[in-house]
Amino acid sequence: MNDYARALAPEARARLERVLSEGERATGAQVVIAIFPALEGESLEDFSIRLASSWRVGRKGLDDGAIVVVFLRDRQVRIEVGYGLEGAIPDIEAARIIRESIAPRFREGRYEAGLEAAARALYARVESKAPAERRGKARGGFSVPVWGIVGFVAILAVIAVMLLREVATTRGLSRGYVAGRGGWTVPPIIVLPPFGGRGRRDDDSDSGFGGFSAGGGDFGGGGASGDW
Amino acid sequence: MSRGLTSGLVVLVVLGGFAAWAVGINNQLVSLDQQVNAAWAQVQNQYQRRADLIPNLVETVKGFAAQERGVLESVTQARARASGVQLTPEALNDPRAMERFQAAQRELSGALSRLLVTVERYPELKSNQNFLDLQKQLEGTENRIAVERKRFNDTVAAFNTRQRLFPGSVVARVAGFAPKTFFEAAPDAATPPRVKF
Repeated sequence: MNDYARALAPEARARLERVLSEGERATGAQVVIAIFPALEGESLEDFSIRLASSWRVGRKGLDDGAIVVVFLRDRQVRIEVGYGLEGAIPDIEAARIIRESIAPRFREGRYEAGLEAAARALYARVESKAPAERRGKARGGFSVPVWGIVGFVAILAVIAVMLLREVATTRGLSRGYVAGRGGWTVPPIIVLPPFGGRGRRDDDSDSGFGGFSAGGGDFGGGGASGDW
Repeated sequence: MSRGLTSGLVVLVVLGGFAAWAVGINNQLVSLDQQVNAAWAQVQNQYQRRADLIPNLVETVKGFAAQERGVLESVTQARARASGVQLTPEALNDPRAMERFQAAQRELSGALSRLLVTVERYPELKSNQNFLDLQKQLEGTENRIAVERKRFNDTVAAFNTRQRLFPGSVVARVAGFAPKTFFEAAPDAATPPRVKF
């Protein structure tokens, strides 16, 4: 809940935050609200996807985040839906939530009521769909195999060490060594570290406002825009 | 230790270091190349999603405005042509192939725009829930296309940078990595068809 336009009284904001965190506890998905005074030249969709990409609402890998972005003076609102919720909240449903829950109340100036209705509707849709059904597009991830290089160098190092050891015995640097018994020892087993981190939950940055911590969720541009 | 063996070891280490570096460059390029391909797959997914919406849209409009046969047919044909121009990952460094793909999609965008403008004259159609839903889906898809195109361009930028930075560029050329083509917005490209009633 981030009210940059001071559209809501503190109690209203607190109430909304409670609704939002209850929903998050119940479903695991993360719905966030952001109210801005005005769009500054940018298009609603451009701004919204930039916001979503930088806030990373929702859990990494599950991408189960959604943001309700409101621009008061332009009277425009958008629900930006993360990849993982595109099954539970398809574009038409997001449009319907704007049309039925948000717009009528906003027209009467009842912002808190509208946002609460929207939050409840969004979480209700998430809850009604099993986690498997919520996913939209499947997304692949990539890890750069830096460790392949390390392993290669390690093998080279082992070869160098073995060469040095050969040198040491044949040149008699370790005196008293019985010839025929030194030679190549069994090289230590090289354990390569696992490939780069996909399982880490990173970016748990509490941005210091709104009381939500971003989980690294990803957005693909799904959702709907509307006005009142 | 003899001088010969010392210099032998030095040579080995230097060669080893160089080989490790070259392999590193190559692997980075492979990884970035894969990211470009994955991003491209997403772009095509979303264009396909748009194409999938069109038959339904055409049918709905026909239900109210069957006489607008010209516009409806041009949309259907443009869609067929656009579906026919697929771009395989190998062709991503061919500017002409990319241009052909984009031109086909632009044509479809144009036909859709004209269709939506035509719809303005039919109030019953404009207020039909089915049509409104389709319109919302179309808007959502156009937005997704825009997002995936930008992400694709980002991956291309990352790849091209790695491919061109010296001295890695030598490795790139030897290994056969060619620069990829961006998605360009044509000078006359309209913003995606988004008619607000």
